[in-house]
Amino acid sequence: MKDTGHVHRRGVLRSAAAGSLLFSGVVKQLLADSGDPLLAREAPFPVAAKQVIFLFMTGGVSHVDTFDPKPALTRDHGREIRADHPEIRDRPGYERIFLKRPQWRFRPHGQCGTEVSELFPEVAGCVDDIALIRSMHTSHSNHYNATLGMHTGSFAFSRPSIGSWMSYGLGTENRNLPGFVVIAPQQTYAGTQVYASDFLPASHQGTLVVPGAEPIANVRPRVARDRQQLELAALRRLNERHLEQRPADAALASRLRSFETAAGMQLAVPDAFDFSGETAGTLASYGLQPGQTSGFGWQCLAARRLVERGVRFVELIDTGSSGNWDAHGDMLSHVPLARNVDRPIAALLKDLKQRGMLEETLVVWTTEFGRTPFNNTADAPGREHHPWAFSSWLAGGGVKAGITWGETDEHGLRASVNRVHVHDFHATILRLMGFDHEQLTYRHAGRDYRLTDVHGEVVQGLLE
Amino acid sequence: MIGSLSGTGILTAAGLWILAVVPHCHGQQTAAADEFFEKRIRPILVQRCEGCHSRAAGKAGGGLLLDHREGWSTGGDSGAAIVRGQPDASLLIQAVRYVADGPQMPPESKGGKLPDEEIQLLEEWVRTGAVDPRVPSAQLGGMSLQQARTWWAFQPLPTLAQRLQPADIDRALQRHWQQQGLSVAPPAEARTLLRRLHFDLTGLAPAMQDVDAFVADASTTAWQAEVERLLQSPQYGVHWGRHWLDVVRYADTAGENTDRPLPHAWRYRNWVMQSLNADLPFDQFARLQLAGDLLPEAQGQTKADGIVATGYLAIARRFGHDIDKDIHLMYEDVIDNLGKNFLGLTLGCARCHDHKYDPITAEDYYALYGVFDSTKFSFPGCEPKGQPKDLVPLADAAAVAQAQQDYQQRLAVFEQRQQQRDAGRLSIRQLSDRSHRILSSAAVGEGQTVTLQSGVPQGVPGGLESLSLKRGEVLQLAILPNGNYGADTTRVQFEIQRRSGENPATWSLQDVIENFIPGGPLRQQRDAAWCFLEITDGPQFLTDVKPAIEGRQELSAWARGDNPAVFVNQSNQQVDVWTRLNPRTVFVHPGPDRPVAIAWVCPEDGQYQVQGVVEDAHPAALDGVSFRLEHFADPEIGPAMVALGQAAVAPAESRPAPPVFPVAYAVFESAAKNARVHLRGDPEQPGAEVARRWLTTFGGEALADPAGGSGRLQLAEAVVRQPLFARVIVNRVWQWHFGRGLVASANDFGSRGAAPLDVQLLDMLAADFVAGGYRLKDLHRLILSTNAWQLDSRTADLGDPENQHQARFSRRRLTAEELRDAVLRASGGLNTAVPEGHPFPPESTWTFSQHAPFNAVYDSPHRSAFLMVQRQRRHPYLALFDGADPNSSTAQRQSTTVPTQALYFLNDAFFHQQAQRIAERSELSGEDSEAVQQLYELLLQRRPDVNERALALDFLASYPGTVAERRAAWVRVLMSASEFSYVD
Repeated sequence: MKDTGHVHRRGVLRSAAAGSLLFSGVVKQLLADSGDPLLAREAPFPVAAKQVIFLFMTGGVSHVDTFDPKPALTRDHGREIRADHPEIRDRPGYERIFLKRPQWRFRPHGQCGTEVSELFPEVAGCVDDIALIRSMHTSHSNHYNATLGMHTGSFAFSRPSIGSWMSYGLGTENRNLPGFVVIAPQQTYAGTQVYASDFLPASHQGTLVVPGAEPIANVRPRVARDRQQLELAALRRLNERHLEQRPADAALASRLRSFETAAGMQLAVPDAFDFSGETAGTLASYGLQPGQTSGFGWQCLAARRLVERGVRFVELIDTGSSGNWDAHGDMLSHVPLARNVDRPIAALLKDLKQRGMLEETLVVWTTEFGRTPFNNTADAPGREHHPWAFSSWLAGGGVKAGITWGETDEHGLRASVNRVHVHDFHATILRLMGFDHEQLTYRHAGRDYRLTDVHGEVVQGLLE
Repeated sequence: MIGSLSGTGILTAAGLWILAVVPHCHGQQTAAADEFFEKRIRPILVQRCEGCHSRAAGKAGGGLLLDHREGWSTGGDSGAAIVRGQPDASLLIQAVRYVADGPQMPPESKGGKLPDEEIQLLEEWVRTGAVDPRVPSAQLGGMSLQQARTWWAFQPLPTLAQRLQPADIDRALQRHWQQQGLSVAPPAEARTLLRRLHFDLTGLAPAMQDVDAFVADASTTAWQAEVERLLQSPQYGVHWGRHWLDVVRYADTAGENTDRPLPHAWRYRNWVMQSLNADLPFDQFARLQLAGDLLPEAQGQTKADGIVATGYLAIARRFGHDIDKDIHLMYEDVIDNLGKNFLGLTLGCARCHDHKYDPITAEDYYALYGVFDSTKFSFPGCEPKGQPKDLVPLADAAAVAQAQQDYQQRLAVFEQRQQQRDAGRLSIRQLSDRSHRILSSAAVGEGQTVTLQSGVPQGVPGGLESLSLKRGEVLQLAILPNGNYGADTTRVQFEIQRRSGENPATWSLQDVIENFIPGGPLRQQRDAAWCFLEITDGPQFLTDVKPAIEGRQELSAWARGDNPAVFVNQSNQQVDVWTRLNPRTVFVHPGPDRPVAIAWVCPEDGQYQVQGVVEDAHPAALDGVSFRLEHFADPEIGPAMVALGQAAVAPAESRPAPPVFPVAYAVFESAAKNARVHLRGDPEQPGAEVARRWLTTFGGEALADPAGGSGRLQLAEAVVRQPLFARVIVNRVWQWHFGRGLVASANDFGSRGAAPLDVQLLDMLAADFVAGGYRLKDLHRLILSTNAWQLDSRTADLGDPENQHQARFSRRRLTAEELRDAVLRASGGLNTAVPEGHPFPPESTWTFSQHAPFNAVYDSPHRSAFLMVQRQRRHPYLALFDGADPNSSTAQRQSTTVPTQALYFLNDAFFHQQAQRIAERSELSGEDSEAVQQLYELLLQRRPDVNERALALDFLASYPGTVAERRAAWVRVLMSASEFSYVD
């Protein structure tokens, strides 16, 4: 842990003075010794996990075609059912609905025998490391709201992202890299709100990495290195003189130091994204060609390299708000999307494991909602939005591996056994990272806010 | 009754939730039941349940409270928790029994299932009628009545014997500092003060000359004069308007799932700035924002201003896919902002349940909800409901009606002419159908040349050599495509000779080649006329000009669309394009299924001879063409055709455009109605109707308008009458001057807010503000003239490292806007004029969806307060430097320091570009030593000392590159320096 010699209490407490930053509960305790919001901290509960890789599949992955086998749905294909479903209520042409069979075969994998469909052949090979949740459900059937909910716990209002909460709770271990990084080729639904710190201090906002030449804005020096050195040296002398005349202003001291950090980032960021030191075997396992700087394989390997360097929370978004898993038109569009992520995700899990990093890394795979096991004709090629049931999974630090948790009913229509709402999912992720979701709070506008609002129960059965 | 609280006022208020303590029948049986409860049941509830289900714990898990009787009888999200006498039907009993498929309580994480004997006790209790003697104390939301009555912020303001003077403020603060045992900083020096003052009032740095003049002016009036000068600057309104826009969470997009632009919201933004510049009394400023459409014109505000002002309500965030389905969330946003903004109360907290900490009930919330539900808000459009509507016209009704009437008239005239034109064309067709006879017709095969003569049917006497024609009759040579794709280039010769009368003459189509384009598709020639027509559906002139076909100047056409066309090769050379075109020749080109014709209108009665040739001039195509030469033997046809042609070639009359009225994104009255409580905030679960009325704790007066209005006007009056109203704005102004309010939580004056530094001081300021007519500029004058505001910022009393007690001035970082404006101004690139709207794409082109929402960042030379701000995607620059949150009220900007800000100074393209412009400013001396001083003056408004000068010259000497590069680098260093970004 570097750069913690200076204690910068004022910077934080000045905001506290505005009534917007009064730490409470455990975190207040955590920060008692240091007001530096990014100082690396231990979580209140001793846990193995130190960092999170959050894999978000945009658009709504069909659970009954991927991770939730439903033989009865195949058997009852074409049977008319009734459901007061939010996506079909008052929708012309949807007066009658019919069950629609899965389009891919499932078979058991690994020692544990968890069934996964042929859409995810590589991830299927990792099921012994995975706790698969088949009873997820959410509160909204719109992409925008469900995506916002999965990221912030709020289905309408802007609230801090889960990554921001984690940065707020844990700080960062590497000063030269942001604590919360989002790697996304395009913006997903609800825009920058999904990785915004909102009312949490801006130091906790997600830093966007767009695969390509300049992954983080302004990280590429605009002048030659020797010139920049001269500029930084002169700037330091000016700022030191300025600070000397204004003693005890921690904000100024912090600002002075931020230029050194920034200079360090100019090196550390390209280094994190420079895969030239990776073996040919590693690159190949992620499906990468040497020199490739995009694709989900690139995102996965970048994620490993970032958590290796102490980044607390890395989110990978596979696609943007169009051209994604939103298969209204044809379920076959799941094929290229699954192919895009399947091998890189499996490679990431194996790579982490082989390096001994999986124990301290929590890997989360999710989407915003599932897809209907029915449509207005049984032969309709697509499926609609489905908030009542979907599948997500966890792997790595502290997760009970090789299990499935919860069930949907025989047709995959509703999560029926050991239901896990998005709030419960969040509470569990926080617990795995060492936090009581009711204690990780932030005082804003007269209220203590938390990621799980006033909801959420930790799913004990998912914990090791 | 200005905010004074009387017990009766509260107790008689409508909708008040006070539970009378009505013991149920007293008797031995009851006494025994009470004892059973107290001894057996209450301990279980306290130990096992109330950790998550009591007001004391601040939690109501699942909406359920178990700390008093009504808690469980009303129940939580799943309904009543207990059915008296029926344990099996009681959710509470099911939960403690751990029945599957339901909540299982207490959860594993809170100790798990109860011991059997406790479950049995609870069952017994419910079976015997669930006697529960616990009643809540008289309570209003989150406060007891007693607390609410005596809460400091709700008390009436004191009456001041005379107007407040700066010295009164200083005395109050001195007293406070003495009590705290704090030493006070010395006064700041003149230059520091002036720079502080300029940024404070206008958000812009002073010029070096301003500093020099001020430092040199020893007069006692110099300070007041400078304050006055800046208060009169229009930049004051821009800067202080931006403060207000922070509080009202102004944005240029709607925030619903597609984040649609709000092309008219800027009017509200500019109105705020103008009103502050005009020092509109703040109570009126507030009234207008809540009900400007309902207020009479007054105080320099027009009716239109009043409408624009209600943009405050309209800019509420919209939610969801279909806004109307989530309209309750928009109302929450309105009520939440209204509460925080004007009253420092978190009213939004009462949407789902009574306020946890402050005296606000859910009924209070829905009493206000009814007012807004009786108001129509401009609609920004949304994915399923298309484009904006319900925008409010700003012209007065009579002008709108007049313009609409004019428009309707113009439209009627236009449509009549259109009809006449169509009628003319169709009547020609009718006439020609009646009168025509075919003189000649033939197919023209691939590459063939056919004379008109050769198509004359057998047995027609005279053929084409002697035709008897009358004035006005028409000869028409039509070229028809074969099949539907016989659209071939066809060479045409067409010549008519008059063989009788006094003036034998010849009309040749060849003559139109000269002046082909200027001559038009109706070509009059010696009393006759040539007409170039499409004849698919009655004659229509070929009115589209096509000059320089294939880029060849010599080829030009009259056409409709691409085809059909009549075109010419005007040159004396053969032209090879898609086919070989002979020199000085007329061609026609039919379209698919669209025959083309050349008609000739006969000038006078007589005998005529016709000659001509039709040649398929593009043999590569498939099936040739046909022709048909017709005679329309009705003298009315020619004049009709000429008239049609004249109309066709007349400058196109465009459809009159509907009048464009300036409109506002604002609100207006709608059908007045009361709202029902949404149980637990769920609009699908309506509870009791609540009359539109003011907050219970402030008397609960009716807001229903006797004339049947929404009650908004009454609401506005109720708001500005509260003592809180003046306290809150005075505190904000204090905060914007000092960096910290006397109440540190400027949006929360409730029980969870910060305690005031000095209640008396705040009350004096508020009382004086009201007494002086709510003038913000007077308040600025007062505060800026205190010694307290003019203290030095450098001396730190270690007793108060955070400067909570304001015994020195709080150094502050520039806001995002101030920083960008400072950079732009130094480069000479800042335009301080007030802009209007943003360059949004026109509404007619909007196809925004949640898959492809609106997303733009617009560059602007104007002050940064005018940057286009989106709700769904933060402006990248403003987000980096802690800009205001466009989604909820920002009482105070954060001031974070993150390395990505340093990266901005190091590598941002805009920053580099501006630095370069500054380095290349023409007034900079060629001498480095002179230029170093000039740059210090320009950027930091002071002169460098010896060391700084040496450092700068050293840097310039050692930095590689051209003079411009070296200087630009030095400018970057200066602008990256803390001194540039901070105000002492």
